[in-house]
Amino acid sequence: MSSSLGKRGTGVVTGALAVAMVAMTAVTAPAAVASASTPSGGTLVVASSVFPPTLDPTANAAAAIDEVFEYNVYQNLVELSPKGQIVPVLATSYKVSPSGLQYTFSIRSGVHFSNGDLLTSADVVYSLKRAANPKNIYPYGVLLKGMSSVVASGGKVVVTLKQPNNQFLYELAAYSNGIVVDPTTVKTLATKPVGTGPYVFASEVTNYSVTLDRNPHYWGKAPGVSEVEFRYFSNPNSEIEALKTGQVQVIDNLSNPQDAKQFQGAGFKLITGPTNGKIQVTINNSAGPLAKAKVRQAIQYATDKQAILQVAGGGYGRVIASDDVPGDPWYMPNLNKSYAYNPAKAKKLLAEAGYPHGLSLTLTLPPYNYALTAGPLVQANLDAVGIKVKIKDIQWPLWLTQVFSKHDYQLTIVDHVEARDISEYGDCTYYWLYAGCKAVGAMLLKAQSAKSLAGEVSGYQAVVKRINKDAVNDWLYNPDQLTAAKSNVVGLPGSGLTESFDLSHVSIGGSLASSFVAQGYSP
Amino acid sequence: MISYLARRVAIVLVSLFGASVAVFAVLGILPGSPAQVMLGTQATPKAVRQLSAQLGTNKPLWVQYLHWAHGLLVARLGESYFQQPIGPQIARALTVTGPLILFALVVGALVALPLGLGGALHNGKAVGTLLGGLSQIGIAVPTFVGGILLIIVFAVALPVFPSSGFPGWSQPGQALRSLVLPAITLGLVEGAILSRYVRASVLDQLHSDYLRTARSKGLSRARALWRHGMRNAMVPLVTVLGLELAALIVGAIIVENVFSLPGVGQLLLNAVDNRDLLVVQDIVILVAAVVLVVNLLVDLSYRLLDPRVREEGQR
Repeated sequence: MSSSLGKRGTGVVTGALAVAMVAMTAVTAPAAVASASTPSGGTLVVASSVFPPTLDPTANAAAAIDEVFEYNVYQNLVELSPKGQIVPVLATSYKVSPSGLQYTFSIRSGVHFSNGDLLTSADVVYSLKRAANPKNIYPYGVLLKGMSSVVASGGKVVVTLKQPNNQFLYELAAYSNGIVVDPTTVKTLATKPVGTGPYVFASEVTNYSVTLDRNPHYWGKAPGVSEVEFRYFSNPNSEIEALKTGQVQVIDNLSNPQDAKQFQGAGFKLITGPTNGKIQVTINNSAGPLAKAKVRQAIQYATDKQAILQVAGGGYGRVIASDDVPGDPWYMPNLNKSYAYNPAKAKKLLAEAGYPHGLSLTLTLPPYNYALTAGPLVQANLDAVGIKVKIKDIQWPLWLTQVFSKHDYQLTIVDHVEARDISEYGDCTYYWLYAGCKAVGAMLLKAQSAKSLAGEVSGYQAVVKRINKDAVNDWLYNPDQLTAAKSNVVGLPGSGLTESFDLSHVSIGGSLASSFVAQGYSP
Repeated sequence: MISYLARRVAIVLVSLFGASVAVFAVLGILPGSPAQVMLGTQATPKAVRQLSAQLGTNKPLWVQYLHWAHGLLVARLGESYFQQPIGPQIARALTVTGPLILFALVVGALVALPLGLGGALHNGKAVGTLLGGLSQIGIAVPTFVGGILLIIVFAVALPVFPSSGFPGWSQPGQALRSLVLPAITLGLVEGAILSRYVRASVLDQLHSDYLRTARSKGLSRARALWRHGMRNAMVPLVTVLGLELAALIVGAIIVENVFSLPGVGQLLLNAVDNRDLLVVQDIVILVAAVVLVVNLLVDLSYRLLDPRVREEGQR
């Protein structure tokens, strides 16, 4: 996968990319408007399933908030294109010092917040400091904990890290910790969002809709629709009926992959692209039989991942065998072929581990479609090799408390949606309680501060292989984002690599400039 | 009368207090904290503790209770844990659920009266049995199944009504149209249940001595029933209606979910999912208050319908 990361060892590459992007934005600014779309119009109605619990992405980790507001209303210094590349947005360019410790961002001039305030480098400093301050309980703010200082000088912002981190730009781009807010508005972000993006927040009806209007003072190319309405449906069937009857033009991400086929052709289009998700049977490594690597390996061999992908994922996605997905620069498709379905081998491993007559386990399921579908399949697979599985269904808040925080579980199925979260394997308190966490932690540190791209990639690949060998979890598959739309909707994001449903370049009818197609927006 | 009213209002207030304590206690033992849900999988134990302190959910339950109860008493609901103003949220949701329930009551009455009256008047005949059977079917079909069937017929096969959603009262015509299927879904079941009571109640009156007397004066059965029987038959019906209102509110939660209506039910469900307990408490107390007040009105209405109760009250 060709993800260009900002890395100190590849300063030339990043610089070149930045320049290319600047050149591109300059070209696409007013001149390309005609070729891109018809900016005059219409309302795009997007169906989605979870209403944002608050409008403030800096106060709540819910993906439903980022889906609407990230990149659309709020912008970051750098953002991720649907292809997973780092694109300068509120920064016009950035430089990484040879030591890998200093990042210098040139802040775009002439950018206004939707309340009229001019964006300054002081606002950027304020936003990053606010995100990094642990007192603010800023979701993903913890990703900035490696920042030792952030200062404004003229039109530039200089971030200094405590130690080199090759993931720094990525982390700034992919999550809400990187958004730039107007310091005068932070008290009212929950009800009156103010950002610099192509859209401004217009209105919301709780549990029904959020409406965004085109930002009349947007610094970049205006989107091709004058209004976007996210409309929320409490069940997947009404979402589909709404698209078929024309009440909505887009379904952001189909809840049931099984529903996707009907939107191929006949006035509709189906846009599929990878997410960062890892749908996995998480294994509590800390106690009992599951503390033995052979038992965990047996579970890997016992699960028919391809069949589970077909049934639970509708076949959209790819089987994985580690925390390794196409969005990662260190992606190893071949490694994902390991642990191919082999019940005989699973039985043998169980016998070697001291369980020739099998064992009993509990599988705790959160209330999500993929988990509820995959759960019984995993149960049947494990039963076939002598592991009796009892399924326990629980609510999400209970899952967070019982499974995630208190580690009171044996097996669970969950989609780890966060990008590049392989660092969790170096965290000894993380809920799978991996015994090799310390060794992996050291390996991660090495990869993070590697002086070359090759060194970084091979460092992370070593971690990917290590956790695969230890069978920390039973990774099942990497699901695709499944966006269904009327065939005339143009410019939708072609993947689910960020939590944002990026509508910066959307239009109804018209065509999309080839530079945006190259970035991964759907033509 | 005044002392009677004062006594009844006092009972309502005591009940509300009891309900508020009960709600609080039950939600107190509900697993999963708001802070945990807000931080999601980004939660570290430290961050959860810190956020709980910010939200005040780490304080002793009785302190939280007093804080909340004070807010209720001065009619200031404040903000939810998610910094959303609660009062306006509930008020807006009520503009969906209120009309939905009224609409459903009308549908229910339109179903219950003919079914029940017909069943009573034709008791023992084929028509009566048929009507009885219909009401049994109405009771047996769960709301969500009925709703989905209606969607399949009237929104997909014959696209007459929208399958889901609610455009808001700024477009009254559209808004009413989107309430039709939900109201029918909700009203059919209630109507079927009510029709059983109507039938039983009317049958009772038909067999009473005073009605036989009325008929011997030369009135037809229907006329005798209309002039003399109906008022007596209404007394048990009004009681049931009061109780059924609570059932309608519960039914609305399911129906709003099936039809994606942004009403009180959806608000409640989402608030429970997010552990936005302040919103849950406020809605539950509101529903409790509505049910208590309706029952008070029901009791008062007996006095209008039945003079015997009036005299009893004055003793």
